[in-house]
Amino acid sequence: MFKSNNVAARIFERQIRTPAPGTSVHCARQFYENLVPSFTIYDVECPDHSFRKFTDDGQYLISFSRNHQDLIVYRPTWLSYSCKEEDCNGHEPPAKAKRFESFFHQLYCVSLAASNEFICKDFFLYMESNQFGIFATSTAQIQDAPLMGGAIPGVPSIEKITFHLLRLDDGVILDEMVFHNDYVILAYNMGVFLYDDLLAVVSLRYQTIHILQIRDSGNFVNVRAIGAFCQEDDELFLNSSSQFAGNHVDPVENYQSNSDSSFLSGIKQRLLSFIFRVTWSEESDKMQRVQNLKKKFYFHFQDYVDLMISKVQFLDRHHLLIKFGGVVDGGLSRTADHHPSFFAVYNMETTEIVAFYQNAADDLYHLFEQYCDHLHATSRNSLHMNFVSSHSNNIHAQDQLKCMKNKASNTSQFVKKMLSSLPFSCQSQSPSPYFDQSLFRFDEKLISAGDRHRQLTDHPIKFISRRRHILKFKIKSGPEFGSTDGRSKKISSFLFHPFLPLALSIQQTLFLQPPVVNIHFRR
Amino acid sequence: MYARSPGKFGENSLEAASAWKRRLNSTLSGAGRKEGGCVWKVSKMNSKGLDISGGKSSPSSTATWVWTRSASASGKRIQRELAELNINPPSDFYAGPKGDKLDNWVATLTGPPGTPYHGGIFFLDIKFPNDYPFNPPEVVFKTRIYHCNVDSAGNLNLDILKDGWSPALTVTKVLSTISSIFTNPDPYNPRSPGIARLYLTDRAKHDEIAAEWTLRFAK
Repeated sequence: MFKSNNVAARIFERQIRTPAPGTSVHCARQFYENLVPSFTIYDVECPDHSFRKFTDDGQYLISFSRNHQDLIVYRPTWLSYSCKEEDCNGHEPPAKAKRFESFFHQLYCVSLAASNEFICKDFFLYMESNQFGIFATSTAQIQDAPLMGGAIPGVPSIEKITFHLLRLDDGVILDEMVFHNDYVILAYNMGVFLYDDLLAVVSLRYQTIHILQIRDSGNFVNVRAIGAFCQEDDELFLNSSSQFAGNHVDPVENYQSNSDSSFLSGIKQRLLSFIFRVTWSEESDKMQRVQNLKKKFYFHFQDYVDLMISKVQFLDRHHLLIKFGGVVDGGLSRTADHHPSFFAVYNMETTEIVAFYQNAADDLYHLFEQYCDHLHATSRNSLHMNFVSSHSNNIHAQDQLKCMKNKASNTSQFVKKMLSSLPFSCQSQSPSPYFDQSLFRFDEKLISAGDRHRQLTDHPIKFISRRRHILKFKIKSGPEFGSTDGRSKKISSFLFHPFLPLALSIQQTLFLQPPVVNIHFRR
Repeated sequence: MYARSPGKFGENSLEAASAWKRRLNSTLSGAGRKEGGCVWKVSKMNSKGLDISGGKSSPSSTATWVWTRSASASGKRIQRELAELNINPPSDFYAGPKGDKLDNWVATLTGPPGTPYHGGIFFLDIKFPNDYPFNPPEVVFKTRIYHCNVDSAGNLNLDILKDGWSPALTVTKVLSTISSIFTNPDPYNPRSPGIARLYLTDRAKHDEIAAEWTLRFAK
């Protein structure tokens, strides 16, 4: 099945040949082998913004002003110029190619943050169906804020976190949702997950998962809060039926006694009763069951009670994958490998825990290995995201994972390490075809579909064709004329357009110098 | 104090017999029995000379010595109760120590069928005092329950956990009593008078609310 590298021949071939039934999805992007962002314009004259990402439909480039107060949105366009000479490709592109404005057209600039607030530059969620963008602003973080109303000790506090809902078409702010004296991890969308029109926000400080709905009209609506209670009307029900109880306490005192009570929170009650039932049914013999409960349940009871909700993702509209972790020295442990953590699948409609796993559980790893795409819950109407490579839809990625697994000396450590990426962060992967592992091979240590910053390497990053094993293009993020002074460590990030052969590479020194932006595109 | 309890709870001969066995095992509780409820504290102080565990220790200060000694005695007693509970596991409740702390237990009660508590799993926290079994354990519901003998903070109104306590009682006995109030609430001795009133006047409504509570808070 030889495929020519000639564009005209491939177009012709595409016209007359249909792929084998059911395989068209695998061939749909093969044409990208011919269209690669191999040309680089270094150090583009560029406004001093911090660039966040392309939206997944490729319509917008999101950037924030350097003072983290304004949002600037660009529309990607394409450099166009005319060439009078004969051999156009031999010439350098015209001088205007050095300008950022030749590739991107500014749509608008909106001020999001008030004086003491700042836009969280690593947070952005895009609701593709309505072209809504969700942004977050926050005030500074306070380490030892007074604990009020059931706040967890050791978790920092932010006086005001505001989520802004914007119509990206014209930059109109449609709605805001404010969390006061709370703590949500905003970096890389860690504490927030968007699925269709449902938004889950994890309040670490109050151990509550807020489920919001984004209406087509452009409003945030509180659907429910999972934490102290499970159903949206539990608290109302409790207060109304407490009146039947007719205790000799006035309502205010009654309410306080409820909030400070030693009762297990709603989600913990569900969790503990689930673990109890599972442990109970593990043994059929009465005597052994008692021993089993004693060893496995009661002995660890307090540990289960002390577990904290640390991250959440949607699996579908009803199911949440919740990570429960421990607290280490008054803060959430970042190196979670060493501490036991647990995953629970929770149905928020029936308020049932469906499954519960430890972070070294082989059965969860099996699901992770085989059905990773189901864990990458993407919204129904997002077409590009179906192409994101994972080890359960791509044989090369699977080989890589198996290779890593075989190399790992300690299987349980390996499982823990792999599962530490769960729950997945929302919209953290680029759907760009150049990260499609069935098309290109590249060094995942240097570049990947994930949107993390990486340390800059001086070596060019090579993209090698999977089918033909030849170098298709290189991305060189360092300046061509080797002027890296070597002293200051640099951090680079890559923004790939979801479907055009267009990418930005941004290098940022650790100091407050303006970043260097390179544009990679197909000439 | 002690003399009152057997009559009140109708301790059967079996219980009395097992209490007798315990009395043989533990000089402490034996002393308590002989001399009556209010004298046992003194007898405990006296008994230090009588019953030295191992007989090898030479205490530096009387006060701390008494404390550790009584803690270990209560520890032994708790351990024995745990063993008893494991040998004869009851079917409607389970209990075990929380972590490696012997004086803090968790119990799980399942709502019996035929009651509005059916299907619920109720967790209780049991804290043993240092001088257990001379004082009753503290038992608190950790799961919300709509019951006339339990208040809005989960505290129980049970005579055997207060004045009706006797060193002859055990955790097993306490838990089976709590388990029995699921089926037979005692509205004439309420902790939540409003619920008791509703129980007496409109039983159907009471059961409906209690079932809803079980569904919402005890699943």
